[in-house]
Amino acid sequence: MKRHPGHLGCLLALLWLFWLPSGVYAANWFATPGEPLQPLIERATDGDQLLLPAGRYPGRVVIDRTLHIRGELQAILDAGGHGHAVVLAAPDIIFEGVRIEDWGDNLTALEAAIFVEPSAHGSTIRNNQLSGPGFGIWLDAVNDVSVIGNTIRGDTRLRSQDRGNGIHLYNVSHSIIESNDVAQTRDGIYLDSSRHNVLRDNTLHDLRYGVHYMYSFDNRLEGNLTQRTRTGYALMQSKRLEVVDNRSEADDNYGILMNNITDSLLSGNRVEGVTQPLGADGEGRLAGGDGKALFVYNSQFNRIENNRFAASDIGIHLTAGSEDNLMAGNAFIANKQQVMYVATREQDWSGNYWSDYLGWDLDDSGIGDTAHEPNDAMDHLLWRHPTARLLMQSPAVLALRWVQRQFPVFRPPGVRDSAPLMSEPGREGNAP
Amino acid sequence: MSDKKDHIQNIGRRHFLRNTAVTGVAGAGLAGGFGAGALLNSRQVQAAGGNGVEVAPGELDDYYGFWSGGHSGEVRVLGVPSMRELMRIPVFNVDSATGWGISNESKRILGESSRFLNGDCHHPHISMTDGSYDGKYLFINDKANTRVARIRLDIMKTDKVTTIPNVQAIHGLRLQKVPYTKYVFANAELPIPQINDGRDLENPDNYFTMFNAIDAESMDVAWQVIVDGNLDNTDADYTGRFVASTCYNSEKGMTLTETMRNERDWVVVFDVEAIEAAVAAGNYKTLGESSVPVLDGRKGSQLTRYIPIPKNPHGVNTSPDGKYFIANGKLSPTCSIIAIDKLPELFDDSIEPRDTIVGEPELGLGPLHTTYDGRGNAYTTLFIDSQVAKWNIEDAIRHYNGEDVNYLRQKLDVHYQPGHNHASLTESRDADGKWLVVLSKFSKDRFLPVGPLHPENDQLIDISGEEMKLVHDGPTYAEPHDCILVRADQINPSRVWTRDDPFFAETVAMAEADGVNLEGESKVIRDGNKVRVYMTSIAPQFGLTEFKVKQGDEVTVVITNLDQVEDLTHGFCMVNHGVQMEISPQQTASVTFTADKAGVHWYYCNWFCHAMHMEMTGRMLVEPV
Repeated sequence: MKRHPGHLGCLLALLWLFWLPSGVYAANWFATPGEPLQPLIERATDGDQLLLPAGRYPGRVVIDRTLHIRGELQAILDAGGHGHAVVLAAPDIIFEGVRIEDWGDNLTALEAAIFVEPSAHGSTIRNNQLSGPGFGIWLDAVNDVSVIGNTIRGDTRLRSQDRGNGIHLYNVSHSIIESNDVAQTRDGIYLDSSRHNVLRDNTLHDLRYGVHYMYSFDNRLEGNLTQRTRTGYALMQSKRLEVVDNRSEADDNYGILMNNITDSLLSGNRVEGVTQPLGADGEGRLAGGDGKALFVYNSQFNRIENNRFAASDIGIHLTAGSEDNLMAGNAFIANKQQVMYVATREQDWSGNYWSDYLGWDLDDSGIGDTAHEPNDAMDHLLWRHPTARLLMQSPAVLALRWVQRQFPVFRPPGVRDSAPLMSEPGREGNAP
Repeated sequence: MSDKKDHIQNIGRRHFLRNTAVTGVAGAGLAGGFGAGALLNSRQVQAAGGNGVEVAPGELDDYYGFWSGGHSGEVRVLGVPSMRELMRIPVFNVDSATGWGISNESKRILGESSRFLNGDCHHPHISMTDGSYDGKYLFINDKANTRVARIRLDIMKTDKVTTIPNVQAIHGLRLQKVPYTKYVFANAELPIPQINDGRDLENPDNYFTMFNAIDAESMDVAWQVIVDGNLDNTDADYTGRFVASTCYNSEKGMTLTETMRNERDWVVVFDVEAIEAAVAAGNYKTLGESSVPVLDGRKGSQLTRYIPIPKNPHGVNTSPDGKYFIANGKLSPTCSIIAIDKLPELFDDSIEPRDTIVGEPELGLGPLHTTYDGRGNAYTTLFIDSQVAKWNIEDAIRHYNGEDVNYLRQKLDVHYQPGHNHASLTESRDADGKWLVVLSKFSKDRFLPVGPLHPENDQLIDISGEEMKLVHDGPTYAEPHDCILVRADQINPSRVWTRDDPFFAETVAMAEADGVNLEGESKVIRDGNKVRVYMTSIAPQFGLTEFKVKQGDEVTVVITNLDQVEDLTHGFCMVNHGVQMEISPQQTASVTFTADKAGVHWYYCNWFCHAMHMEMTGRMLVEPV
């Protein structure tokens, strides 16, 4: 099968034919700046390549066949202010290197720069630059898609709530979302009813939520970075997640939120500086609005290992029957309140590092000689009245702690580390 | 008010040391024994804002609270703030103690649906006149068997039950507030084929659900409006013209995943005046065997408008100043503030649906329901955060308009995962900002364990001051979806029954037809194999200490309690016949059963009545055939 399109309307040229491994000829098409792309697409057939030289291209495009669309530097698709800029509606499309601007802002209509329909399984969307008001990339009940290396920017003229999400996965499985950079949209990556996906090495900053997650099982989040979001990773109502080596820096509200998460692994994550905005008086603006590096709520049977929670209002807030989690090798560094534990049954988390541990290691085993109880009544007091921390080493506080040990009936049940580490894992020679 | 009322006991070891003054710690140094003393003293915690918390024995509460009993099918009456349970009102359940679902009077009220032994009530609401609770009726839905019930608040008994035709699963329920509660508005949640007779089983495109208006006096269904999507919660305005309902399934998905796709679902607003005009003009149809007018309110109709709202919204709540419907985003961390005064323009098509939104504050994860203090603040439950967010409505609107203003006032942890919340008098013009009840869906480890099934946890919060203060944890059995708090003086319960009460009028009429004077006679009437046994009860005696029937007779026992003394309730229990009922002072009650076993069968009084209560017995003598 071969075709020899000539000069037809906006069609510029057929450059060359080349041999595909599958044994068919594929055509290479060139778009003309200023001319719409849709007539070209309608003439192309599966396997063809469409090249966009630098320049501006008008209108909205529906790619309903298996094409490889490639933009040269400064190839810009301008959707004219409404609708989806690009709709992928055939399997195995490759869409890359295009800058997309000015698509629709109608969130009710799910308007997106790139709307990936269920038929577009196996497609690849890479190295595009999207800048506009609605959703960046909407994956709609599709499988085996790769979204790699895209840069997505929202429209800061809109209210945060009125912007679309950067990358939105609805009912998506077996897809890879990798090395994208998302900022100033509403949420960075939103997963909804989506399974067996990998979210890796994405940078998500200046957003509402970095990763917003609902009812999505068996996904892996690895090596992502959130910065200055109103929650780094909001993981909810899901099972069997792998959340590994992610970072959260200077997020508000929560670094990582685990709500009703079971049978999951949280390992090697680094959360730092989750604090609520301060008012003019230097106090948190909102009572009860403390930033939490890790919030573990109604979550059981998880492994929470080798993470670092630092410089936040609360290191970990654990509540609502969140028991039977393995909690080891974590470092709690200089959080205003290291642990907020709201439950009535005691937990033993052996083998974590606590920057406020006051004990000694006389036998030089690397493990403190006395257990650490980060949630003792003293911590309640310090949490309630942070200024009292100044008195931490004072005789009065030490006496109070001594009294608590002598009269444990006064001690509220809480978390106990019977083998507190003397140095932070991963530092001073300790393996992470 | 006693000094005790200014303090509360520390309600859990968790709160230990919560408010201990730091200055004391700093100043005390190493004085011997000081540490233990400080810990002990911390057990007394100051209550907030002057709201008394402890209601001492013998003292009465300031508020009635009416709680839905969820899928227990009952309504519970609590005193607030003591949270003492005062009464249970059986509605859709069968109740052994009162004979609800067993007695003839209750079966008449339950009607054809008395064959159902279960119910699922969610939303109790009190009738209003000009936007204030009038204390006359309380209405509640039954999601399980598609019913709406009315409770008379003078006798605190269910007096009407209506099955709603053409729809399934009544969920949201609210009342017309102004000029008075003419209608009960009820959302049917789950779309079904129209007509649901086996057609369109596998064609969900032809499934629809309806918004229903029930006449509050007659309890007849006045009209039904077909909508797009589904219907969740609802509330009415203070003009009498508009009612708003949330839809979480604009996709009309049949699976969980399908219902979650859309970024925005909607609030559908109903124009009651336009609907009434359409009914009067005959612009309706009827479906199947039902004669209820059915109108088309799908998109494009002049009866409705659809306002896009993020995302799977749940509660919708009218602010007590009448200005706003506030829809709660559930899967969006936002609430959407709909300006009611813009709705006439929306129905005139002079503005777009989203133009009615004047604020969309970001509150936290999982906003479900919002309630109000009457001082301009809103309180929204955050299901995922497990918090209540207090926020200021006008500040949220200013923020939406671009001002740099913090509308959030406080977030309070609740335990755990709150659904409904409800402030005192919040659904009326008279919202007084005293108490907030938060109905938490899980108690987890807050109470002594009682096996795999856990109680829910209703938490009482003092909102009389600037800061919300949690003052009480209350374990509850399945499952108070919602409650309503009304000032004690707004309810006027009867002390004893009056003899002309319509609740048992049909039984009285039966006695008259039998020539029996209920207020004095005890007598057996034979009518073929039907036997009607009339007797009085005066503590500690039944009017008949024995009666004789033949095996196989259908026996109806009618008892009239002639005691005049308040709180002197009798019971009637026929041993080994599954028969039991309540007869309160001046009440007539009846129950029908088959005397299928020959021999002696004792009956006895089982609501404690007298020192000789145990001796208040009689014998049914059943002659073998």
